[in-house]
Amino acid sequence: MTHDGARPRRKPGPALLSLIAGAALVTSFGVVSCQDRTPADFGTPPVAAPVSTEPEPAQVRIHDGRTPATAATDKPVRLTIPALRVAVPVTPVGIDSSTGDLAIPENVNTVGWYRFGPDFSATTGSIVIAGHVDSADAGKGALFRLDTLRAADTVTLTGADGHTRTFRVTARERYRKTAIPLDKYFSRDGSVRLTLITCGGPFDSRTRHYRDNVVVTAVPA
Amino acid sequence: MHSLHFRRTATVGLAALFAFGASGAFASLPAQAKAGSKVSVVHGIPGQPVDVYVNGKKTIPDFEPGKVAGPLTLPAGEYDIALTKPGDAIADALLTVDNAEVPGDANISLVAHLNEAGKPVLTPFVNDTAKLAAGKARLIVRHTAAAPAVDVRAGGKPVFEDLTNPKEAKADIAAGTVSADVVLAGTQTRVLGPADLDLKEGTATIVYAVGSAEDKSLDLVTQTIDGLHSAPGGVPGGNGGRADHSVPLPWYGAGAVGVLLAMFGLVRLATARR
Repeated sequence: MTHDGARPRRKPGPALLSLIAGAALVTSFGVVSCQDRTPADFGTPPVAAPVSTEPEPAQVRIHDGRTPATAATDKPVRLTIPALRVAVPVTPVGIDSSTGDLAIPENVNTVGWYRFGPDFSATTGSIVIAGHVDSADAGKGALFRLDTLRAADTVTLTGADGHTRTFRVTARERYRKTAIPLDKYFSRDGSVRLTLITCGGPFDSRTRHYRDNVVVTAVPA
Repeated sequence: MHSLHFRRTATVGLAALFAFGASGAFASLPAQAKAGSKVSVVHGIPGQPVDVYVNGKKTIPDFEPGKVAGPLTLPAGEYDIALTKPGDAIADALLTVDNAEVPGDANISLVAHLNEAGKPVLTPFVNDTAKLAAGKARLIVRHTAAAPAVDVRAGGKPVFEDLTNPKEAKADIAAGTVSADVVLAGTQTRVLGPADLDLKEGTATIVYAVGSAEDKSLDLVTQTIDGLHSAPGGVPGGNGGRADHSVPLPWYGAGAVGVLLAMFGLVRLATARR
């Protein structure tokens, strides 16, 4: 045991360790916060045309008062988004009678088409397709990366007869679920468009709900 | 065929009925605030096509039984309505209603039908065009037939009971097809149907029972009013949390601890070199 001098020189070990660990933590934080930044919105969906004031027809329209036959709807059967490598089946969905919400398919690898709104061959209004972004049990859903779609990306719907209809992305928006203008996205008027909806934004692990909806609007390509 | 005993006197009370039925709620509004009303005309008298005159002008020529005409957009005001045999002069009208008041901003069905005793009459109904919740359809049933009180059943169960001419009953129900029939009130004696009704989402389907039980001419006439839909309450698209791109709170803590550790290390290193 020897003393080098009157003032003992402390070992640099713990200090260095502390410095390195601190730097590592700060770097990790930087990486995490840069890596998963929520993409910014872009574009605005076409506004639903104001209710047209039809000119009074010269002759009064006469309707047959017979009981209307069950109207056939032309349902889409497949959704393809090449940019996201998504190709999933589409199933018709309605309303969850207990909540009044859209009844999205349980299967996260299937998306739902709102069967009361415009259908595959619609010429007006918003064709709505919604899917889970993920689920606690089944993991990532078909629309997991919907919020990375960019302007001009294509989205293709396939009809029951095998025909396809291609749309071009024009807008991507994120809204708090409490503020989303659903009337606009479920409108049955205005120029025909495809509306894709899923969840996004911060997740409340207590209620197990996302705060936001991610909405992509696409128009016929 | 039912013989039509059209008498102008029979309709005197109807003008008042029309005015009352449609205008009650709107009577206090100033005239300027009233927009045009939509008026549909329903022909529920078997066997007699008619020309419909509004204020002396032939508006619906050769209107066949079982058909629904319109809607006409009529500014609020008073109207003279006349039904004639096709080609006949107004003076020989089968049925007239003078000074019928059309209120503003309403959706009205004007129904030519038989009353319970079998006399042709004209009855106005105000249509409920309130928005429907997503997934719902509105079913409105109107007893406009020369028949006693009836029950309307869906899937064999009575949904509207003891309905009499010229009353209506209505309900907002889940959209879809229902099998409906009409029985004499309180009995199993079927007088109409069964008919499959496709109740479209966001649409009011109005079903009129018309004709005469005595003449075995009972039938159904339907009218639809669409555009009453609303958007779903919400779109719940996930419960996993994997798509949460925001930086979780613990990472901010880690960052802060990192800064402190690094500063501590630097200070220690600096003091050690002195």
